[in-house]
Amino acid sequence: MRASKKIGFFIIPALLIYGVFYVYPTVLSLFYSITDWDGVSPAFNFVGLKNFINLFTNDTIFIKSLTNNVKFTLSASILQFLFSLGLALLLIKNTKSNVFFRALYFFPTILASVSVGFIWTFLYAPNIGPIDQLLKSLGLEWMIQDWLGDKSIAIYSIAVVKAWFHVGQMIVIFVAGLQAIPKQFYEVAKIEGASALQTFRRVTWPMIAPAATIVVAYTTIQTFKAFDLIYTMTRGGPNYSTEIIATNIYNVAFRSNKFGYAAAQSIIFLVIIGAITFLQFKLVDRYETN
Amino acid sequence: MKKVLALLLAVMLVIPVLAACGKKADTSENTNVTDNNDKDNNQDNQNQDQNKKKVTLSFVHWRGEDKDAFDEIISRFNEKYPHIDVEQTIYTSEQYVSTAHTLLQDGEAGDVFTSFPGAQFQTIRKGDLFDDITNQSFVSKFNEALITAGLEDGVQYAVPFQMVYNQPVYNKKAFEKAGVDFEGAMKDWDSWLDACQKLKDAGYVPIAFPGGDIGPGQFMNSMMMNLEPDEGIWARVLSGEAKITEDWWVKTLAHFNELNSKGYFNTSANSLKHQDGINMIASEEAAMLATGSYAISGILAKNPDLELGIISPNPASEGEKVWDGIHNATFLLGINKKSNHKEEAAMFIDFLTEKEIASYYANTTGQQLTLKDVEYTSKELMEIGEVWGPRKTRTQPRFFITDQDVQNAVLGSIQDVISGTEPQKAADNAQKLIDEILSR
Repeated sequence: MRASKKIGFFIIPALLIYGVFYVYPTVLSLFYSITDWDGVSPAFNFVGLKNFINLFTNDTIFIKSLTNNVKFTLSASILQFLFSLGLALLLIKNTKSNVFFRALYFFPTILASVSVGFIWTFLYAPNIGPIDQLLKSLGLEWMIQDWLGDKSIAIYSIAVVKAWFHVGQMIVIFVAGLQAIPKQFYEVAKIEGASALQTFRRVTWPMIAPAATIVVAYTTIQTFKAFDLIYTMTRGGPNYSTEIIATNIYNVAFRSNKFGYAAAQSIIFLVIIGAITFLQFKLVDRYETN
Repeated sequence: MKKVLALLLAVMLVIPVLAACGKKADTSENTNVTDNNDKDNNQDNQNQDQNKKKVTLSFVHWRGEDKDAFDEIISRFNEKYPHIDVEQTIYTSEQYVSTAHTLLQDGEAGDVFTSFPGAQFQTIRKGDLFDDITNQSFVSKFNEALITAGLEDGVQYAVPFQMVYNQPVYNKKAFEKAGVDFEGAMKDWDSWLDACQKLKDAGYVPIAFPGGDIGPGQFMNSMMMNLEPDEGIWARVLSGEAKITEDWWVKTLAHFNELNSKGYFNTSANSLKHQDGINMIASEEAAMLATGSYAISGILAKNPDLELGIISPNPASEGEKVWDGIHNATFLLGINKKSNHKEEAAMFIDFLTEKEIASYYANTTGQQLTLKDVEYTSKELMEIGEVWGPRKTRTQPRFFITDQDVQNAVLGSIQDVISGTEPQKAADNAQKLIDEILSR
């Protein structure tokens, strides 16, 4: 009992920090979500559930942001998952060149997201951007797009950047998972005459399920919360085509000074993230058990 | 012993957190000793100031391009008032819009601060963060008609320092080469299109349009000014009396569509950033830049050989022309009501408005000012004053859209049209958003 009390004592600083910077603002957001506070004036009115009702019945931009979030999360997560798994399979052995390439792919992860946003804004720049220049030099002018200015493709252009940004991190997780698979399994599969695809389906894939769980959970939540890349590259434009919930909350709170309304949005956002995480872990748990 | 150590560790962890939450200590007196030792004690004013308490003023604004000019002005101010140091903190304009009111709230930052007119001015005023400067002597140095953006209910809360023209900048040599007449291009909409075609034929991108950031918010002003000449139009839209589905805005959008579809804007207009637009006109790839006079100094910094002026389309017929162009009094200087150094803050603004200092600032940064007494020596500034001073210009309409969500919807409709949506449909979509915003 005394030992557990002592151990408990050591978590007080962490609890304090967590309480002050996470729990308290969340509770405060809950309180402000039922007000019309503008974030500046000392006075505000209680509006009950009006903000929440408006969010779902009278706010096209919020619904559009939610849709954009789903598009962005799905495309970025799928790209990131496939590329990281594919590259991890290629780079599984600890040869010098593989270690070099792993480090190379990991490099973008250490960059600040704002820097990544600026770099890719330049890469995507119309006419002078290296991507357009490359396509021109290859005689592929017909492929040139207004990467960040065309409302039908802008969100996917940013999803590519998001995938590029974090693919190295996921490669590391997959490589660790792949290297932990006992070699005997592959030897048995080989003796049994299994093809490469069958080996992957029956041996590799089930054995890297825990690593895949981490990758899927991490990428989904990270892409859902993505803010900095979108804000740096398009600020939600053109005409809200890249607006996601996080940028919408920021704009409503800090540009439009509707803090009460933005607090209601953030509460809904919290619930959505919580629901996705819960669902994801339940599904993965069931899959792993099977 | 273990208990004591654990307690000590916890205290060490908690103290920095609490200390960070506490109020910033005034370290200015320590600085005073060092700084004053470095001063020239022979100057009278400095001698008088030796006994005064050292004060550090915080000056926050968004004009990064003016940093060097302000550094020089601050240094001259410090020579005159050795007991006052000024710390300049610069944010990007985007960041400034979203954070200024928050950083002003505890009175530690922004003893002297700036504000955009319109939505931001109103937000800060509602937050009761502007000190009343109505009776400050420097207010009388300003042109009365140009400082109304900082006036509310008879109280002067802030004074706009800069006078900008939010209309395209043009390359005179390009116009000459293409055979475009300055006055002729501004006659009516057809003459504007004709000018653009001539520039295109001469090998220029007629208009660099930074639709990826400030372009829509700037060019919409000239593009609508004579289609709805009433300055109260946006107030009526905000009250629901007028709609942007009406002819004046649909026609504005149709004109945007026409400029884009005829290739008078750069390609991928929705993703061009202002800085890239500046590069396009500086490199003589584009003949015009659809932002404002404030871009001139940046363009000339890249290509000092250019001869630049400002121009505005008349989006209506010659007979319907009411306004020649667009102006805006901006960079509103205010004193933080929560500041502990209001007197010194007023001294700094007073210093900025002295003829010699204001003239230095204007000519170094290429900005027209709202002061009565400024000596412009820059060729561009003198010429803009001569050409546009006598003309009838309208206060930037966008700043009357005081609800930022409504403003976003309006600007979004321009981007929507450039993305290929029909003008009427883009206006309908934007009006739907406005109706939602106003009904909440």
